[in-house]
Amino acid sequence: MKNAGARWRSWVTNRRVDRARWALAIVLLLAAAVLPPVSLYLEGQGMIESARFEIVLGVTSLILALWAVSYNLMLGYAGMVSFAHAAYYGVGAYTVAILLQRYQISYFAALAAAPLVAAIVGIITGFVALRAVRLYFSLLTLAISQLLYSVAEGWYSVTGGDNGINGIVTPDQLTDYPTLYYFVAAIVGVSLLLMFVLTRSPFGAALLAIRENRERARSVGINVKAYELAVYTIAALFAGVAGALFPLVQPSVVPGMLFWTENATPVVVTLLGGVGSFLGPGFGAFVFTGLNNSLSRDFPYQLDVLLGAIVLGVVLLVPGGFASVPGLVAQLRRRVVGEETPSIEAETKGEAIRMIDVARAVEAHAIQSEHIERGKVLLKLEGLSRSFGGLRAVDSVNLEIHEGDRHAIIGPNGAGKSTLFNLITGRMRPSAGRVWFDGRDITGRPAHVVAKAGIGRAFQITMIFPRLTVRQNLQYAMLAHRGRTVQPWGLADRIYRDEAIELLDAVGLGPHADLPAGQLSHGDQRAIELAISLALGSRMILLDEPTAGMSASETRHAMELVRRVATDRNLTLLFCEHDMSVVFGTARTVTVMHQGRILMQGTPEQIRSNPEVQAVYLGELDMDEEEAAPA
Amino acid sequence: MDPGKFLLFATGGLADAAYLFIVAAGLSLVFGALRVINMAHGSLYMIAAMVSVVVANRLGAGIGFLPALLGAVLVAAAIGAVIETTVLKRVYGHEHLVQLLATYAIALIIGGAARLIFGSNYRTTSTPIQGSLTILGYSYSLYALVMIAAAILIGLGMYGLLFRTRLGRNIRAAVSDPELLNASGVNVTLLYTAVFTVGAGLAGLGGAIVAPSQAVDPTIGDSVLVLAFAISVIGGLGSIIGSAVGALMVGEVISFGLINPTTNSFALAFVFIIMTLVLTVRPWGLFGRPEA
Repeated sequence: MKNAGARWRSWVTNRRVDRARWALAIVLLLAAAVLPPVSLYLEGQGMIESARFEIVLGVTSLILALWAVSYNLMLGYAGMVSFAHAAYYGVGAYTVAILLQRYQISYFAALAAAPLVAAIVGIITGFVALRAVRLYFSLLTLAISQLLYSVAEGWYSVTGGDNGINGIVTPDQLTDYPTLYYFVAAIVGVSLLLMFVLTRSPFGAALLAIRENRERARSVGINVKAYELAVYTIAALFAGVAGALFPLVQPSVVPGMLFWTENATPVVVTLLGGVGSFLGPGFGAFVFTGLNNSLSRDFPYQLDVLLGAIVLGVVLLVPGGFASVPGLVAQLRRRVVGEETPSIEAETKGEAIRMIDVARAVEAHAIQSEHIERGKVLLKLEGLSRSFGGLRAVDSVNLEIHEGDRHAIIGPNGAGKSTLFNLITGRMRPSAGRVWFDGRDITGRPAHVVAKAGIGRAFQITMIFPRLTVRQNLQYAMLAHRGRTVQPWGLADRIYRDEAIELLDAVGLGPHADLPAGQLSHGDQRAIELAISLALGSRMILLDEPTAGMSASETRHAMELVRRVATDRNLTLLFCEHDMSVVFGTARTVTVMHQGRILMQGTPEQIRSNPEVQAVYLGELDMDEEEAAPA
Repeated sequence: MDPGKFLLFATGGLADAAYLFIVAAGLSLVFGALRVINMAHGSLYMIAAMVSVVVANRLGAGIGFLPALLGAVLVAAAIGAVIETTVLKRVYGHEHLVQLLATYAIALIIGGAARLIFGSNYRTTSTPIQGSLTILGYSYSLYALVMIAAAILIGLGMYGLLFRTRLGRNIRAAVSDPELLNASGVNVTLLYTAVFTVGAGLAGLGGAIVAPSQAVDPTIGDSVLVLAFAISVIGGLGSIIGSAVGALMVGEVISFGLINPTTNSFALAFVFIIMTLVLTVRPWGLFGRPEA
């Protein structure tokens, strides 16, 4: 009950923050909409020198806003730091300049062509850049940026070399400044709207999942590289739109626009406005242009220092940027007023697992001993091998796992259990052999394909999306699994909502649906894992040392949850575990691995009494087990 | 191509490789030990070049060179120590995104500060060693040859530092097994500051050595930084030998790219094509080791 109260309070706070953000966004949009008439009026009153100047500043801000918001698609939504974004902006500007100057095509046709050219350059270079991940991705974008810069500078016959292309004429229709402003505002507005819809859609949900946890995103069925390439290309496309608008305010395009240091502008603007919000970078663009204009005449170099200091300050102190100010204010006020901070109180302490009636644990032993009809073969491994250098970590393993079975793999450290799991789930490719799942050959298929086929993983702490809510964890997993994350429209948070809540109730997490998953206790995070596997419709769940790091009572309750859910939903379990009380309390079939090979297979009883197993393995573990099992 | 011309271009490449190696080795060392990509490395190079030109001109060409070099390296190293203790200490262990943005911000600050202090115009100083040598019909600046020799000496010196001293042993341990280092009772905090200071000093040394042979202004760090990235990525981040090989490749590619009028506008493009190829095929570089 206490928790419900906290949850309600945090929900109210979030609503307030949301409302403040929306109000701010609307005020800003209105201010942007009335900028030309207001500056004309002020000029008439003699309060500003030149309305034209203010309007051009407004156009510059709008273009920058589009550029920065497209940068934040990568930085804020997918967690990618690119140093090539200025290059796509430059490609857009060059496309317009070249089509206009060399081919006398109308500006409007060139404006339509520019984003396409930028997107084509983006998809090709992005394909190369995404061969690497994270840091190396950033370095690759740096190389690509400099490569495109060298081409712009060196290809005299097309780009005019280091002189660039000068004297670009604004089309007649746009020579009137308010018209120019509203034309640019319309293009920028439509682009922003398209991107906004995209970020809220299932496609955007897939990006968030990738940013939060690449590995997990892959295992719920998201093709990580494909989505990264898609967002990279989309960002390049909108940077191309922004670049194509640039010649309207500056009549020359030079290779320096593509130089890597030019990326400072979108980076600074994005951080200024806040990576955590959609419109934040747009707001940052107006602040940046204002600062730039008022300081650059008298203090051009102080501006660089100031911008650097702002970026540094934002990075070190306010990771969310200015847009998180409403949230910060709320937090500060709570501190001042002395209200309890909901996030601390809302942290859970493993109730989900504790809530399960302990009596059912006893019942589970009855389930354990009852006779089970073995279903058909669900997973079949044929001669599966994997070597690392000279070492055969997994050596010609043949294994059949039947539907509905609870199958444990045991063996001393280095027996090859984890490698075997990685071979099954597609995180490693086998050196030889085949993996069949439900009659389908899934050998060496990538992890997201294996996940879609119906093999889930659970119970690894790192395997959730920590900053998404518990419910979003499930919803996004379902979206990914059912192939809906390709959809770039619609509200991701409204899809599969009820199904997610039903599943959360099934694993006892219902009360925590709206908390960030990372705030839950370890035990509850594992329950989220299990719920995700259920949400994926997995027919078989792999558990890699499910109880590692749990206390004895947590272990008992967690395994009870697993058994109950497995029985209720007719899941097949395959798990490896060091704790023998867990193995013999849960498994119906036990396989012993030793030095990459299968030593023997049988019921828990057969394994216990097998002298060979005891000789190589159980000898040391018998002692552990006596200590571990209180009975 | 006649052998004289070949030698001329090869030597030109070596001279470029010389200062680029010194800068890239610093970048690579810092990444190897601290796992931080220092976007402000080029700025330290630039600051040192500016300082050395100003000091050398004040003291007079020739005599002024060595004090200028020493002063420039010390300034770069001192700024490095300040950056490490005030900023980097807070971002170790964060995602690389935070580290990239933090050091990028420092680069912006140093760049702006340098323009404030030195203005944005080109500055030059004369080389401490005048004169030239004529070999096979082409003349060679003596200073370029001195730069090559200096780079070889610095390379050997770094090898000595890394493999013959306690500091070097600890640095190598930090590169290969940070956890072991923690357990062995070494003051890791101090070691990290030392490594970053040495890396910054190397950036400064590169800048101070190259300054007499070209015009310097507050933007020279930007293009050197990307070349240093290219070199350390090609050679393998964290590997000194890799930096040497990478610097040779980059220096020679640029130099020989200039030989032919059809390729000379794309000489730099070749460097980034090589960098792209290495990163896509072997991201850890020719001499690096893959990250776990």
